[in-house]
Amino acid sequence: MTREELAAYATEKFAGRLTPLATGKYDPLFLVNDAGDLLAVARALKEDPKLQLEYLCNAGAIDTGKIDPPDKRFEIHYSVASLQLSLRLDLKVVLPAGKPEVESLQPVWPAADWFEREFWELFGIHVRNHNHLGQFLLPDDWNQGFPMRKDWDAPDFVRMPEK
Amino acid sequence: MIVALELLPIFQWLGELLGGLGLPASWIDPIRYGALGVMMFGILAVVALFLVWWERKIAAHIQQRFGPMRHGWHGWYQTIMDAIKLLQKEDVRVATRDKAVFFWAPVVGFVAAFLAYIVIPWGDGLIVADLNIGILYIMAVTTFTVISLLMAGWGSHNKYALLGGMRSAAQVVSYEVPMVVSVLTVIIFVGSLSMVDIVKSQQGLIFNWFVFRLPMGPLAFLTFIVAATAEANRTPFDIPEAEQELVAGYNIEYSGMKFAMFFLAEFVNMFTVSAVAVTLFFGGWNGWEFVPSWIWFLFKTLLVVLLLMLFRWTYPRLRVDQLMEFAWKFLVPLTFANLIVAGIFKYLGWYW
Amino acid sequence: MAELRTEEFVVNMGPHHPSTHGVCRLMLTMDGEIVTKIEPVIGYLHRSIEKICENRTYAQCVPLMDRVEYVTAMSCGYMFAGAVEKLGGIEVPLRAQYLRTIMLELNRIASHLLFYGVTAMDIGAYTPFLYGLRERELIIDLFEETCGQRLTYNYIRIGGVSQDIRPDFVPKCREALNVISAKMSDYTGLLNENPIWIHRTKGVGVLPADLAKAYGVSGPNLRASGVNYDIRRNDPYLLYDKFDWNVAVRPNGDCFDRYMLRLDEIMQSIRIVTQALDGLPDGEIMAKGVTVNYKAPAGEVYHRVENSRGELGVYIQSDGGKKPVRVKIRGGSYNSLMVLPHFATNRMIADLVAIFATLDVIMPEVDR
Repeated sequence: MTREELAAYATEKFAGRLTPLATGKYDPLFLVNDAGDLLAVARALKEDPKLQLEYLCNAGAIDTGKIDPPDKRFEIHYSVASLQLSLRLDLKVVLPAGKPEVESLQPVWPAADWFEREFWELFGIHVRNHNHLGQFLLPDDWNQGFPMRKDWDAPDFVRMPEK
Repeated sequence: MIVALELLPIFQWLGELLGGLGLPASWIDPIRYGALGVMMFGILAVVALFLVWWERKIAAHIQQRFGPMRHGWHGWYQTIMDAIKLLQKEDVRVATRDKAVFFWAPVVGFVAAFLAYIVIPWGDGLIVADLNIGILYIMAVTTFTVISLLMAGWGSHNKYALLGGMRSAAQVVSYEVPMVVSVLTVIIFVGSLSMVDIVKSQQGLIFNWFVFRLPMGPLAFLTFIVAATAEANRTPFDIPEAEQELVAGYNIEYSGMKFAMFFLAEFVNMFTVSAVAVTLFFGGWNGWEFVPSWIWFLFKTLLVVLLLMLFRWTYPRLRVDQLMEFAWKFLVPLTFANLIVAGIFKYLGWYW
Repeated sequence: MAELRTEEFVVNMGPHHPSTHGVCRLMLTMDGEIVTKIEPVIGYLHRSIEKICENRTYAQCVPLMDRVEYVTAMSCGYMFAGAVEKLGGIEVPLRAQYLRTIMLELNRIASHLLFYGVTAMDIGAYTPFLYGLRERELIIDLFEETCGQRLTYNYIRIGGVSQDIRPDFVPKCREALNVISAKMSDYTGLLNENPIWIHRTKGVGVLPADLAKAYGVSGPNLRASGVNYDIRRNDPYLLYDKFDWNVAVRPNGDCFDRYMLRLDEIMQSIRIVTQALDGLPDGEIMAKGVTVNYKAPAGEVYHRVENSRGELGVYIQSDGGKKPVRVKIRGGSYNSLMVLPHFATNRMIADLVAIFATLDVIMPEVDR
């Protein structure tokens, strides 16, 4: 099915759980309405015979820097694909600023393993039920916070002049 | 039995000179032998240096590049420069090493490599000592190198070096059997273990040499050369020094002159097994009479060394268990079968 | 009589190691010669490219992308430029698309030739390394004539390419491709029938297809396990759907298949480049209206490219400003390294070296 058909099908099948977003400029982008529903939605997407989205391409956390309102600060963006049916779909979850937590998607897509380790290490987003959160990319003795957050600062972090 | 010393004019002259100086007779022989030892050492050092240079040039030309070109014509004294560089290097010693073992490992390896040259026949009448157990002595002495590898692995206090040492011990011990049995296959027809006798029984030109004369000669030569490549720790059997796997294996913690000793010992070993192959299979120093016998010997040995070098730069490396499997499940039965056939031929007199 | 007790010991392979390509540290728990557990420790090449990109304009991010995977820097540049073009709906002129396709495929050939050399060297054959690099030089020379660089090209820009090719590029390129396709028989002839090579690579390190799909393995590693998926065909970008070429797939998933598949891919890439050179049109090389201060409109996109190591993808979120809000890069080697502990255990360390070499992992993609 084409991208438009995919968007229409997913909107209809998951009405109430997924909301299509217009900001996705190419492949269909859906917002998971309830962050706690994420694992069930992921499983449904994988097991749906017309979608078969069993391949996780990318999972990245975003700090939008929006502190007002504070409950939409962090987002996590998952890009999934179906290899047999050549489909592509994007999912998004919005997390609040306070203690952002998300469920690990390893039971559905084992590839989420290392992507989720980065969520914790660089953003401070705790991943429930992950088997190995901890030091990953940063040095062993890193104690300077979560670097990818927009409000992170360090003595030697130089911001380019706005011109 | 000391044939060579009397025949070599220099040593005769030296003996007369020392006698003329009034030294007691019991001192003349040790001094002459000492001079002979120094001369042998010098020859072997030159041979090792030449082989290192030659290997680099052969490797380079196989790989479509030039190799050493700067130091001298086509880099002929590159190895001397490398030796001088290694002499100047700091002797880095791991603090937790086993001091005695670490120190003596390169010495043992070096000495073991050179000991074999007591019985190598360089030409007609050019042998240090024609022991009547010649070839057996060489087989025994070349096994000493495994002690030095194990000592190096243990003394370095390094997991990688220990793994390398143990693998090499397993490898050398496994390939001793096919090597010795291949040698035996030829010895049956000679009737004597003395190196000079072996060469003398192949007098003449090509078709008198054992590799062509005996029906099982080619097979014995092939198994010998494969086993000898493994004995000399050369690719495809260079697991102990596999750079890509264990970062140089047993000699990882050695630097400077100690490393140079291991390195030179490896090349001297390579020359030893080639010399033994030439003696046993290719007629030693025999050839057309108008060329001196030692030139024939050197020429043939360098051809076999060339063969070993071509092996190294062409084939990938065997995995340790595949290597052991190849030795025990393939080479050993093959060489024993060859030996039995040789025995049958000798008994029935089907040879000349 | 005391029982013989053997202990497992932990050996560190790398970060300084000749055969972990780049600075990768593998903590191996070994029982004698057998590796029982592998734990990759990464981050030695972490340059925080993503954080830097949040602080740069879109045009300033482009040269940074070359460093994400410097062996195939053209793909990285295109990955970012393509994503921004999707965000902004930029129409790239046809000549620029042809040039981009040619450069990407030439880069793939160069990368696979390097793979051939390095894999053979890791398994012990030293000579193929120089043969592979000798042919790679032909391609690198072409790149140097076009954009001045041998490794990190900074050639593909948002909206097109930075400079046009020289007049003698096309004949030189054709000649280089002729030389390479003639030499392929040398490469396969040297190794493929060699019993030592076959023992070291056939049946060694089989990556099952479902494990590969579960862990997001992509590219040649996935296709060598029998999964017929190539982003150039299944989700086409640039001009791949206009050319006549095949997707190379191999059934077994062992080291030999991974190695042969990349050689097959070289032949297919040669086909693509030849067709592209035949059909190269005249025209502009840069889209109109894209300046150095280009601001992508608000939106988010994930754009992916079939790199020689797998799926190289970038996720960009923009809020309409000069600098992107988030750039998340995903490299093919990331997933190959992620799946390594799950299929490469319980074999000897020599096999691990062969598996690691044929997975073609390079660290800048993993650490960014």
